[in-house]
Amino acid sequence: MRKRTLGFVALGAAASLFLSACGGSATGGDSDAEGGFDLGSTEVVNPSETTGGTLKYAIAGDFDSTDPANTYYAFNWNFSRYYARTLLAFNPEPGEAATDLIPDMAVDLPEANDDFTEWTVKIKEGLKYEDGSEITSEDIKYGIARSNFNGGTFAEGPQYFSAHLDQDDHNVYEGSDPLAGFDSIETPDDHTLVFHLKDSFSEFPNVLTQPQTAPVPVDADRGELYQEHVVSSGPYKFDGDYEPGVKLNLERNEHWDPDTDPVRSALPDRIEVEIGVNQDEIDERLVNGEIDVDLTGTGVGPSMKSRLLDDDSIQDNLDNPFTGALRYVNIHLPIIEDVACRQAIMYAADRDSMWRAWGGAEGGDIATNLLPPAIPGSDPESDLYSSTDGKGDLEAAEAKLEECGEEDGFKTNIAVRAEREEDVQTAEALQQSLARVGIEVEVKSFPAADFFGQYAGSQDYVRENNIGLSVSGWGPDWPTGYGFASKITHGDAIMETGNFNTSELDDPEINGLWDEALLTEDPDERALIYGQIDTLVMENAAILPVVFDKALIYRSDELTNAYYQPAYMMYDFMTLGVDRGE
Amino acid sequence: MSAPSQVPESAENADAVDVAAAATQGRSDADNRSLKQIAWQRLRRDKVAMVSGVVVVLLILAAIFAPLLTKWFGHPPTQFHQDLIDPSRRIPYLDPDNPEAGIDRWGGISSEHPLGVEPTTGRDLLSRILYGAQISLLVAFLATLVCVALGTVLGIVAGYMGGWVDTVISRSMDIFLAFPLMLFAIALVGVIPEGVLGLTGNGLRIGVIVFIIGFFNWPYIARIVRGQTLALREREFVEAAKSLGAGNRHILLKEILPNLITPIIVYATLLIPTNILFEAALSFLGVGINPPTPSWGKMLSEAVPFYQQAPYFIIFPGLAIFITVLAFNLFGDGLRDAFDPKTSD
Amino acid sequence: MLNYILRRLGAGLLLLTVVTAVTFWIFYVLPRWAGVTPHGMAAMYVGKAPTPEALDATVERLGLNQPVAVQFVEFIRSILFGQEFTFGRETVECAAPCLGYSFTTNSPVLPQILDRLPVTLSLGLGAAVIWVVGGVAVGVLSAVKKGSIFDRLAMGTALIGVSLPIYFTGLLALSFLVHQWGLFPVSRYVPFSEDPVGWYQVMLLPWITLAFLHAAQYARQTRAGMLETLGEDYIRTARAKGLSERKVIFKHALRPTLTPILTILGLDIGMVLGGAILTEKVFSLNGVGAYAIDSIISKDLPVILGVTLLGAVFIVVCNLIVDLLYPVVDPRVRITA
Repeated sequence: MRKRTLGFVALGAAASLFLSACGGSATGGDSDAEGGFDLGSTEVVNPSETTGGTLKYAIAGDFDSTDPANTYYAFNWNFSRYYARTLLAFNPEPGEAATDLIPDMAVDLPEANDDFTEWTVKIKEGLKYEDGSEITSEDIKYGIARSNFNGGTFAEGPQYFSAHLDQDDHNVYEGSDPLAGFDSIETPDDHTLVFHLKDSFSEFPNVLTQPQTAPVPVDADRGELYQEHVVSSGPYKFDGDYEPGVKLNLERNEHWDPDTDPVRSALPDRIEVEIGVNQDEIDERLVNGEIDVDLTGTGVGPSMKSRLLDDDSIQDNLDNPFTGALRYVNIHLPIIEDVACRQAIMYAADRDSMWRAWGGAEGGDIATNLLPPAIPGSDPESDLYSSTDGKGDLEAAEAKLEECGEEDGFKTNIAVRAEREEDVQTAEALQQSLARVGIEVEVKSFPAADFFGQYAGSQDYVRENNIGLSVSGWGPDWPTGYGFASKITHGDAIMETGNFNTSELDDPEINGLWDEALLTEDPDERALIYGQIDTLVMENAAILPVVFDKALIYRSDELTNAYYQPAYMMYDFMTLGVDRGE
Repeated sequence: MSAPSQVPESAENADAVDVAAAATQGRSDADNRSLKQIAWQRLRRDKVAMVSGVVVVLLILAAIFAPLLTKWFGHPPTQFHQDLIDPSRRIPYLDPDNPEAGIDRWGGISSEHPLGVEPTTGRDLLSRILYGAQISLLVAFLATLVCVALGTVLGIVAGYMGGWVDTVISRSMDIFLAFPLMLFAIALVGVIPEGVLGLTGNGLRIGVIVFIIGFFNWPYIARIVRGQTLALREREFVEAAKSLGAGNRHILLKEILPNLITPIIVYATLLIPTNILFEAALSFLGVGINPPTPSWGKMLSEAVPFYQQAPYFIIFPGLAIFITVLAFNLFGDGLRDAFDPKTSD
Repeated sequence: MLNYILRRLGAGLLLLTVVTAVTFWIFYVLPRWAGVTPHGMAAMYVGKAPTPEALDATVERLGLNQPVAVQFVEFIRSILFGQEFTFGRETVECAAPCLGYSFTTNSPVLPQILDRLPVTLSLGLGAAVIWVVGGVAVGVLSAVKKGSIFDRLAMGTALIGVSLPIYFTGLLALSFLVHQWGLFPVSRYVPFSEDPVGWYQVMLLPWITLAFLHAAQYARQTRAGMLETLGEDYIRTARAKGLSERKVIFKHALRPTLTPILTILGLDIGMVLGGAILTEKVFSLNGVGAYAIDSIISKDLPVILGVTLLGAVFIVVCNLIVDLLYPVVDPRVRITA
């Protein structure tokens, strides 16, 4: 469950997409009669201003860290906002505007210079920590510095600041003054930050929504141990320490001023998280009402899914949104060098069969392009390798095989994460469908923890062991084409080990388009570029899209103000409240 | 506490001494052959042992001829039948021609698929269980072979040489028994690189599992062999051989080893079911051979998400393990009783 | 006597050192032989799409580039003398016996293990009580009524018991007893100290399932032992003296039978830590076994080492206790130094 997917936009067509996607599902439950099924995807369900009560979360795994500097899980980014405010935020309302950026601690959206290399942002006055002391721009600068410039202390979080800030090597934990020499962020006064970037980066404001922009008082920073008790800037503070594998409790922070905060309604008096609870048990207790929200937001397990779909009385309590992720198969360019051979795989793949491995209609939509449907520039209708019922076009595949001089097919291996049941079944389904045109694929399963470090993401391993394919999944860091796909398709992202551009796609045209996008101011123009990239990746046959997956979520009647925030691909935790009807 | 701790059960059983004693007595009575005859007679009269012996033979045959059997009345074990499965629930339809009729909690049994089909993929359960027997038995036999080879050699050497050699070997037995075997097994399977000793894919996975089980379980056999060797060393016929100037090699191979064969065979038989359980436990935990090759433990773990809705899927793979292990246990028990001189006729 | 204990303790320490060394070898050395680079290892502790700098820094921070011998000595040293860890600008003393900090959660390993120990001990010891009492009782009855229907039935069941893997019986029990028929509640582990009744309710099914597996072995063992002792001369003497059958069985026949039982029990209890893996996995108990599996899946090396070492300690200690108990159970045994 590492390398998680984050954020995605639902602009414009999103609402209708959800509905059409659900149409024609082969399920017994009538979905739209009362308009309740999947309502949370498009509306605020159970609007209420009732305050008080305890909002109860549970999670089968754990936080990757409660330290805002050191996390890459979508639910973690969503949740950390309870106690860690960020410079910018996503607009807390459902529908088209959900992924608009709005200021959180900032007074206004940041302003850029002409070539997007310098960004200025002002923060509000009167923001306070849980001890009542004032939050300054210097604290935010320190928070950012420690998150990316720490000598390896924090490794889980994203590295956008170190990649883009115009900053020499730095380590806040060395020397007596942690920020001496850290000049890429200037703080001319207590309420202004000026960011200096190496290159043009038109999408930089999206980075400022990330939890790494939360303020951290220098004196309170205890390195890796800071996660035990993060100093709160939001409406809640830690009640006792965070205990990994056990629990995290939050109570109200009296020094938070609601008037400064457009994002958080802070209805409950208390937030509790039970950690390390078995998924079946979470599902059971969700339905019983003992738990309000499954923290991961990835939906119920297969067992509960079947039960919920069969129970007509609770269809109104179900939401079935996209998780924002694309499930796909990398086709490794260094192993299957001829583009026609790769295209033969694209043609021969039985997409219907793989879609079934992901749980059918409620599990997701068959994907025929790279960008998830709600990302601007995506065209889910496009399909360069179409076939009847998605069963694969064997004639076209055989023609392509002939073109690349492998009339009888060829042999290769597909790498897969052993613990991921759906990934394994995707590989098995692909193996079956490719065998129809003589492409013999052997499945190799590896531990998920090492998958990108040592196997599919290790250039040496892939070459030495003829790994031509690998099953993967990816979600956006923020809801744009760049935030989604640059790390898996830009040539610069190829790494020796830990390689997530696993197909090793390094196409000058695609690389050029990525760079062009970062110089383009207008989001609509950028979206057009992203659409071009999508098509090019498909033409290159570097990525075989499988499904845009969906989660089936149980929404309790006691949960108030639940709506689906596409930037985090789950409910917006900040608006949630409970009304036990007492 | 489950799989690994069952090892001492079979090996450390109180009866252990008896069987070996039988062998020794047999030799000292200078009438080894008649003992074997008696044992065979007893075995034939033991109905339970004979039946389980037949079951064991049938299982082995089924595993060997799995490809043939599935050709006759089944479907290839990797062939998908997704048309039989409700994709949302991943469970077979009650009636594939009429999806509205709902799902079949009892696994989609039909004349085509006598044991039903797997969730999600719709692969034929019968042929997967038959093919699963191949892996299960192959691993168990090979691992037992490794245990026996290592255990016998080290046990004899320790028992016969005595002194510091004995001390070193006995102490290392203690050490081996103190390892958390299952943890190591899981870790090792993930660590061994492709291509070691020219093995890749499933050949390598099987090799690693066999090595782990064999390499860490030899002390159980070694303890018994050592004990017997100690006893045999003092017997007249060994003394006699020594006084006739026979070398160590001769005494070990010609005088002592033949007398150990009976107890070794009995304990090897009892070790096989333990190893079957261990292999199944590993593949249940997700450490094992590559998909889509079927294995019983993996089939069970794949059924776990469905145990509430369709408990059916755990039953057949579970029964396959159970019947196989029980048959080997019963047969091994019978074998032991047959060679036990104390059993009255 | 004291001499004996000291010698056994010394041997135990040696054994623990070897176990630690082998564990170290398997998890630190073997991967390198297999061609894994420190960067490849570091990649699993870094977030998605890591930069080369982040990998370098992680290798450095976790000490993955140090010689294995150095890492091993450090590990042993921190167990014996504790160690200081630096977090950011802060230095924290990890007192002996220090098992270090987890690579993935950055929390100290030993307290994490100790937190989960009550679950595993509840499971193992609770089940042990059931299987020893049940197994021995059935074994005695079977021996006394040898050849009876009860004997055959009990021994048949016992054989079935040892042939059933817990991940089959456990799943069957969960599926039918809990979910289909609702005979047992679906609930979460609660500590005995907080809610003894709830604790009992949650643990009952795992206990029974686990005990069934082991009781079989104890019943067979007891029966065999009893049959042997019942045939001995001194039993005949005792009977001839006119002692009641009850006294003969429990006072004279059963006691020597318990010695081998004790040996097995020592081994079984010693294996509680390592062996609870399957049971905890099946019943979703958050104990040391589940922790061990999770740490292996996430390659959390300090946790793997910690759990392995603690498991071995358990085995050594249990064996020692058993050895010391022999003379108590069977007066014929004398420990000599």
